[in-house]
Amino acid sequence: MASALGGFGRRLGVQSYFSLYGLLSGLLMFAGVIIVLFPIAWMVFASMRPLAETFGSPPAWIPREVTGDAYAKIFSDPRQLRYQLNTYIISFSTAILSVGLGALAAYGFSRFRIWGSEFILLTIMALQMLPGVSIIIPFYNLARSAGVWNTYLGMIMADTVFALAISIWLLKSYIDSIPTDLEEAATVDGCNRFQALYKIVLPLLAPGLVGTGTFAFLYAWNDFVFATILRNGHELMPMTVAIGNFFTQANRDWNAIMALNTMATLPLIAIFVFLQRWVIEGMTAGALKE
Amino acid sequence: MPPETGHTGASPPASGVNRGAGQARRSRWLMIRRELTGYSLVAPALLFLILLTVYPLMRTVQMSFTDLKAGEWIFVGLEHYREALDDRWFWNSVRAVVAFTVPALVLHLLIGLGFALLLNETWFSTGLRNFMRGLLILPWVFSTPASALMWALLLHQTGPVNYVVVRILGQSAPIPFLAGSPRLAMSSLVAINTWLSYPFFMIIILGGLQAIPPELYEAAKVDGANALKRFRHVTLPQLRTILLAVTTIDFIFTFGQLDLVQLLTRGGPLRRTETITYYVYKTGMLDGNLGYGSAVSTMMLLTLLVIIVVYVKLLSRGGESGETSF
Repeated sequence: MASALGGFGRRLGVQSYFSLYGLLSGLLMFAGVIIVLFPIAWMVFASMRPLAETFGSPPAWIPREVTGDAYAKIFSDPRQLRYQLNTYIISFSTAILSVGLGALAAYGFSRFRIWGSEFILLTIMALQMLPGVSIIIPFYNLARSAGVWNTYLGMIMADTVFALAISIWLLKSYIDSIPTDLEEAATVDGCNRFQALYKIVLPLLAPGLVGTGTFAFLYAWNDFVFATILRNGHELMPMTVAIGNFFTQANRDWNAIMALNTMATLPLIAIFVFLQRWVIEGMTAGALKE
Repeated sequence: MPPETGHTGASPPASGVNRGAGQARRSRWLMIRRELTGYSLVAPALLFLILLTVYPLMRTVQMSFTDLKAGEWIFVGLEHYREALDDRWFWNSVRAVVAFTVPALVLHLLIGLGFALLLNETWFSTGLRNFMRGLLILPWVFSTPASALMWALLLHQTGPVNYVVVRILGQSAPIPFLAGSPRLAMSSLVAINTWLSYPFFMIIILGGLQAIPPELYEAAKVDGANALKRFRHVTLPQLRTILLAVTTIDFIFTFGQLDLVQLLTRGGPLRRTETITYYVYKTGMLDGNLGYGSAVSTMMLLTLLVIIVVYVKLLSRGGESGETSF
């Protein structure tokens, strides 16, 4: 494909692959990748080596002495394990709830005539864009009076609010792309509508459900504000809040917190590596309407 | 979900005498039933969203006209709004959010566009491009607390950034990036936010670049346009709508950023990084001044709402006419 800035090399008479321009842009890209990935690498290094190496002068750019002390510490501390467990509980539940509610609504919007559906869908998207802080005051009151303050349910519902909008949009575009003929054909063949849905639509929709669930999972995993105001104490604290609390501690155990931070980010990297396409689809859902 | 079939006993039977009317009634009944099925499918999600976003938003507006005195809500009208307009810390927070959002947005755009152009280069094979793209999106999946912590370690007094600055640039003492001068603290926040947010621009611009028909570049080349001219007259106009969309969305997200400030500076030094979202959080949640916090929140909401409505208008118009690509 022709590029916006390409062609310097060709004008100099050098052919495509080893052009001066190609080399320059390759170097630039390489430098960019290093700068972007360095903070992540530094965190992982800090979690697996003695502190003296991290804070030494000059700092050891590559770990010399590898130790699992920090990980042993966080995996033997029930409180630290609890943070991890809480994050998993909240994230999985949010993913299931948003995909469940989202799939029903998306199917409704895609296959049935809903009065004002265009307006409703755009409003959902607009509401999702508003900063969470704009509703936290009444949200906090609502959670308290409904008795879901300091429960998993409260945090899961808060996270679902924001993940649901994206879920509906993503799943709707997915269902739109499944031809109605398939369901109709199945109905003619003696399936009722529910069976048609179960046997025909659901299998075709499965990748979309996984992808949307991934996005909701990421959203809940990374939530900090709602987890801060909707709970109290250590019992229900997710990792993000535990990490945030580190900033207010007087005695900072950088080693252990970097291990926890690594545990909080490695699953994201894993998810990203395997489900990259879905993450990208979710992140572009608001900006690119198909 | 209720099963919906065309031939269960639920529909009225068509008699031989009144066959036409029976069928009409029957199809009407089916139609109503179909409509009801549709609404019952979307109802749970919509009720959920109304209860947990529309209602809290309306409560925010309502609370902004009231004050909590001795456990009772009293109506104070526009008192809080008047108070806010006279409050120098309110204006301070408006200034701070502009000083944070504008440079951050420019950096997101420039870095995102730069990486997108590089990724779009011809020397990349598809596999290599996807790999590089994957590495470059990575920061986007991280939570703000996780990345705040990574950067706190990097910017530590004896961290690698300070080492480089002190040794190589010949500074005499380590630089307290987040607790030194207000300007430096704000710049650090902007830098960290940029690290987290540029991938959004990069991905969307890259998608836009790949949708530009190559013939346009060929034609421009035939006309003798050099690389810079091709960028200005082909690439930029083709990306216009996408850039508008992504900038609007990113503006709202960046404007609404709370976690970074809350974690790294808590509004300091000298309250100069106290953005409006942090001010809402501080007055409403930390100081318990619910009415006043809601008033500031409402003003912020109205500002953002104007932007969102304009954006959504553009979005829906583009969808109908098919003129724009989003």
